[in-house]
Amino acid sequence: MKTDKQKTDYDVMVVGAGTAGMETAASLGDMGYKVLLVEKKSSIGGKAILLSKVFPTLDCASCIITPKMAAAAHHPNIDVKVYTEVDEITRNTDGSFAVEMHQKASYVDFDACTGCGQCEEICTVTVPDEYNYDLVTRRVAHIPFPQAVPKTAVIDRRGEAPCTFTCPSNVKASGYISLVRAGRYKEAFNLHLQNAPLVGSLARACYAPCESDCTRCGKEETVHIRGIKRFFSDYYYEEHPEPEYGPVENQLKTKVAIVGSGPAGLSAAFYLARNGHQVTIFEAETQAGGMLRTAIPAYRLPNEIVDRDIKNVTALGVEIKCNTRVKSAASLKKEGFDAVFVATGASDERNMGIEGEDLEGVMGCMKFLRETKIGDAPDIKGKTVVVVGGGNSAMDPARSAIRMGAKKVIIMYRRTRDEMPAHSWEIEGAIDEGVELMELANPKQFVGKDGKLEGVEFLKMKLGEPDDSGRRRPEVIEGSESTLPVDLVVLAIGLKPSTTDFVDEIESEWGLLKSNEKTLQTKKDPSIFAGGDCVTNPTMIVNAIAQGRRAAFYMDLHLKGESLDAPFDTDFLLEKTNKDAVLEEAKDFKPRSPVLQPMMPLDERKKTFDCYESVMTEEEARQEAHRCMNCGECSQCMECVNVCPAFCIDFKMTERPRSLIVGAVVLSTGYEVLDPAAKELLGYGRIPDVIDGLQMDRLLAPTRPYNSVLRPSDGKEPESIAIVLCNGSRDHTVCNPLCCRIGCMYSVKHAQLVMGALPLADVTIYYIDIRAFGKGYDEFYEQSKGMGVEFVKGKASRIRQLENGNMELQYEDMEGEGGLGKREHDLVVLTVGFLPNTEAFGLFKPGELEADEHQYVREIDPISEPGRTNIDGLFAAGAIIGVRDIPDTVLHAGAAATQAATYLKQTRGK
Amino acid sequence: MAQKRRIGVYVCHCGGNISDYVNVEEVADAVRNDPNVVVSRTHMFTCSDAAQQEMIDEIKEKQLDGLVIASCSPKLHMFTFRGMSERANLNQYQYIHVNLREQCSWVHTNDKVGATKKGIHLLRAGIAKCELTVPLNAIRIETKPRVLVVGAGVSGMRAAISLADMGLAVFLIEREAEAGGWALQTGKMGPEAQDGTDVVAKLLTRINQHENIMLHTSAEVVSKSGSIGDFNVSVRLPGDETVSLNVGAIVVTTGFEPYTPQTDEYGWGAPGVIPLKDFRQMLAEADGPLMHNGKPVRDVAFIYCVGSRQLKSESCPEPNSYCSRYCCLATTYTATLLHDLEQKTGQPVNQYHLYRDVRTYGALEPIYEKARTGGAIFLRWDPSNPPQVTTEGDQLTVKAKDHLLGGEELEIGADLVVLATGMRPRENDTLNDILKIPESKDGFYNEIHLKLRPVETMIDGVFIAGTAQGPKTLAESVASSLAAVAKTGGLLMKGYVDLEPLIAKVDTDKCIWCGECLKACPYGAIEKVNVGEKEIAFVIESMCKGAGPCVPVCPHNAIEIEGFRDDQITAMIDASIKELETK
Repeated sequence: MKTDKQKTDYDVMVVGAGTAGMETAASLGDMGYKVLLVEKKSSIGGKAILLSKVFPTLDCASCIITPKMAAAAHHPNIDVKVYTEVDEITRNTDGSFAVEMHQKASYVDFDACTGCGQCEEICTVTVPDEYNYDLVTRRVAHIPFPQAVPKTAVIDRRGEAPCTFTCPSNVKASGYISLVRAGRYKEAFNLHLQNAPLVGSLARACYAPCESDCTRCGKEETVHIRGIKRFFSDYYYEEHPEPEYGPVENQLKTKVAIVGSGPAGLSAAFYLARNGHQVTIFEAETQAGGMLRTAIPAYRLPNEIVDRDIKNVTALGVEIKCNTRVKSAASLKKEGFDAVFVATGASDERNMGIEGEDLEGVMGCMKFLRETKIGDAPDIKGKTVVVVGGGNSAMDPARSAIRMGAKKVIIMYRRTRDEMPAHSWEIEGAIDEGVELMELANPKQFVGKDGKLEGVEFLKMKLGEPDDSGRRRPEVIEGSESTLPVDLVVLAIGLKPSTTDFVDEIESEWGLLKSNEKTLQTKKDPSIFAGGDCVTNPTMIVNAIAQGRRAAFYMDLHLKGESLDAPFDTDFLLEKTNKDAVLEEAKDFKPRSPVLQPMMPLDERKKTFDCYESVMTEEEARQEAHRCMNCGECSQCMECVNVCPAFCIDFKMTERPRSLIVGAVVLSTGYEVLDPAAKELLGYGRIPDVIDGLQMDRLLAPTRPYNSVLRPSDGKEPESIAIVLCNGSRDHTVCNPLCCRIGCMYSVKHAQLVMGALPLADVTIYYIDIRAFGKGYDEFYEQSKGMGVEFVKGKASRIRQLENGNMELQYEDMEGEGGLGKREHDLVVLTVGFLPNTEAFGLFKPGELEADEHQYVREIDPISEPGRTNIDGLFAAGAIIGVRDIPDTVLHAGAAATQAATYLKQTRGK
Repeated sequence: MAQKRRIGVYVCHCGGNISDYVNVEEVADAVRNDPNVVVSRTHMFTCSDAAQQEMIDEIKEKQLDGLVIASCSPKLHMFTFRGMSERANLNQYQYIHVNLREQCSWVHTNDKVGATKKGIHLLRAGIAKCELTVPLNAIRIETKPRVLVVGAGVSGMRAAISLADMGLAVFLIEREAEAGGWALQTGKMGPEAQDGTDVVAKLLTRINQHENIMLHTSAEVVSKSGSIGDFNVSVRLPGDETVSLNVGAIVVTTGFEPYTPQTDEYGWGAPGVIPLKDFRQMLAEADGPLMHNGKPVRDVAFIYCVGSRQLKSESCPEPNSYCSRYCCLATTYTATLLHDLEQKTGQPVNQYHLYRDVRTYGALEPIYEKARTGGAIFLRWDPSNPPQVTTEGDQLTVKAKDHLLGGEELEIGADLVVLATGMRPRENDTLNDILKIPESKDGFYNEIHLKLRPVETMIDGVFIAGTAQGPKTLAESVASSLAAVAKTGGLLMKGYVDLEPLIAKVDTDKCIWCGECLKACPYGAIEKVNVGEKEIAFVIESMCKGAGPCVPVCPHNAIEIEGFRDDQITAMIDASIKELETK
């Protein structure tokens, strides 16, 4: 061996482990070469392993291909890398090749997986089964087929479902939806706990950004995700008034103090306690829950639900000390806490800074809502109430006031309804319930007598140029003052962080505490963390929950003395699924009307603080869950993770790139199948019982989907089967002038097998030429004639469905009577054409690897040098140079192996 | 009675191939409590990787010392499971294969109860045999890094070059005086548009320059002895000189014989009725208009499938029922060559192609299309009504029915009738007697399995390629010859080969050398040797195939085949009728 050569990792790399690739690899392995066999799917075996039997001997495809699979997989000289894609191949000057490749994330540790199939069994998402050519569905967690090598599961994930991606706490909405669909409500609840512990509150009061981003919006309307959550959380809480768990077994000695029992504090406490830390929450109010309890009206979120949600946290041993206002985080550390999380929220009212704000009868919305919820609010029955503001926090007091019997409730807003930051449905709800909107109006002062409010003097406004937020700026119309007599004014003009006690102790800006965005750790004291509204300003409940969860993760690391550089689980999110692609796939889905949560009638709703949204029935919830389009494929319901006995499922798995040097390369990436839908008049894709030849093979395979030959539309045993040859082959209309080379033979095989499976069925083959050219092939064709298969020389021109469900096949009768013929059949099989697999060209510099005029890889000299491409040292085996049957593929693969071997001798002397 | 064994029994569903007709669970249950059976269970596909892994784990965990798998034919998977046994550290010869598919389920599809009973009997016999197995080791033979290639057509020449490139010494022999074979007579060939003589010339240059290749023309094999890895072949060279070659493998690329029509078959014998190859020669030689009998050729009729796809009839008692594969390509390509000539010379030639199915498969289709669009008329005939060729003076007339015109009878006047004659297996009795390669029904050499082992033959170490195995185009022939090279390389590049130890064994005490076994052995594997005073039979391990004709002829029961010993066979019979007795 010459010494100036680069050291190679393998003598030969074979790309594509179908029949050709396995044969090439085995041949080279037998000669003593070290071979790397790369396959992009999760099993080797290619298309042939999916066949029923093979012509002309009618051996089981399994019997032919499994030995080849085993030979490749167990060969001492062959390494098989499945689920791996080659990205780039470059020829080195010494004749070797530099290869870049990556193993795709399968989310299953192939080495640990035993192929037990439990993940597949429990998986809640189904997709069309490409291994059965979409005749049936398979699970997203799946072992491709029973004879797969290696027999390991793979989980399909094409991206993060938009709902999950958009959720600030990445609650696996797609996951719990799929669990509800499967009737597993407890599992749905437990899944929710992984990302947010306050399930009941979110089910009622979350603004549900997931719904705004739902792909189904592109069809009819969002999936009512929150409604589904409401269903399972109510269902679960009814079954389980108390949590099913207690404190975790492995209790640590570390003590954590949390200031504030709002969503952020509760969430942090929950996840810290789950990790065994001793957590105490300090709450200034009399009861825990923060804004959940005090600010959200009972008609939306009753206190019992907040109580039950809090039990999720306290059951873990978290202690909540109410009526305890903490004024310094440092003092808590002195009391013995190892770390502190400040989550005091943002419930301090802003004021307008105009006259009369201190009058009795003018109050902030937080105060109003809080008093309303605890039953301490002023009596406004029959009175006039003005709410100032246009956000959601204006809608709540307005709608509460209606329920309290106010005669007139007016929302005064300085811009118009279009600019209101409140959700449109909130504004609609308020108006429906009788709230009046007063647009383009702003208080100038509150007027009163004896310290008591009597009216509001306001100014008319007009809209000017857009401001930074893009909304048009309100401008005062000078001299437009007028006065409105009112009994109560509620100011809903904004909230500010409740941080007065901490602004000096912790770095802050404009009243907001500052902490590291990723870790929520504060600068001055690394054991003090801060998060939630006191850091972010008021946002959604689920944002605060996300902050708490994040804080818990990094506090846990801090308390364990580990580096805070570690990624949080959000860092492992995939990219958001391309919704257009999902919608494109689903373009033929029938519309499904959404199931709406039933609402209390308007008249009743106005009189009571009882929830106006009622819960879906089980049936409704499951029906609604069925509208989910499984955007991410895997929904991340985590059932597989829970059930896997080998602990081999890992959603944090990422692509693994690899670079290596090989002495020679053989490409054997096979061919593509032409979509017969391209021949529109033949009805494929429109008429359910017009199937293609590959599907017919699956119907006849030992591992067939229906365990019998049945037609897909109604499961009937077909009695009159048409097999139509040359669809998309020898056909310029689909730009494929080539003969598919194997269609005649596999169709004759189908005919014979069908006659075996359904002895009473009539089988007619419509053909142009029967190309039975290989060893024993013509004899096989003659044999099928002898069995009674009818051969009609004629080209099918149109297939239409009759009212009885059968198909009328119109064909050009080339013999017999001549002219146009028509026949009725109850199953039509289209023998499809094939196309080149052009992926290989992308592995090289543009134009480097030459194609023939039909875009197959070009053999430079098919007569004298089979398997050789224009690149020295790069060889092609099997159908990549032109579709061929198994015997011809095997021979060609042998030739490619010989070429590679002689090349290695020549370049590397081995 | 044998010692206590620990046997694992696995019954295969074969994805329904077996379990649809045999109750495999019942079969597995029946033997589960047999004294030497430790485990008995079923698998959907015992051959699948996952099932193999489970069995391996179980063999190791339960420390099994015998294995019985009831599945398909041993021809398919015996080696699969032997390999698996080795991976489980179980001697592969303590594995017994029971054929529950070809010998049970597939032949009793209408009687599940009966088939299940039979399955149990077969399995019991297998277990009984397994109980008496002993660990055996393969017989390792050193292989010779030399190859004999028989037949120096393009396939053989190309194979020789690659074998030599791999570092093996190659003896390439050709019966004719010149290497090259039929390619020398084809002219330009489609679709690559290469001239056969050019192809041959280029290969010959490479061969002559290659230090590892020795080409002998006018040479024939006269005898062969030895076995895989180590053959001794005598070759007769010109001048009756005989050389003895010691080679590790033999690649047979003896090609085909063109079909010669019978007298009057499509007018054969009449002037102007010629085989395609002669017409091609005419085209190749034409440097102006195409002439026949001194007149320019105006009408040519091509008749396809001559000597191919024949149906059995009185006039054709031994039909060539196969398709000859190359002729549609060759004839349609000829049509395009004729078009080219028309273009060049301005001579109009009407072409009538009388075909049955035009089999320009795969990427050959555009040639057919080119022939059609160039103006060639294609007419289909049916074997029940073949074209009739008649002669009147110089004028040939072809009568045929045109199906497109509703079966109307056409009379085509033709200057030439070109017969697309098929391929026939080469008459090669001497070589066949020497090499003993089995033939398929069609008379071509038979491969072991079209898909699994397409270039290997039942004679280990003897490979076949090209049209000797069946009709092919030239490119396909070369691909197959390089596939044979790959297998040859796989055999010889390692330097050794492991042979089956399931061969004859002589009991030296009982043997009295009567010579009966020597007479019975077709492989020459028996020798007479002296052990002290005594003359006894000796088995040449590398030559014995374990076929067993020596066993029944021995008057003293002194010879047995390992793996098929008398005690094993008797035990199998006893076991398989056990249930019949106890009932």
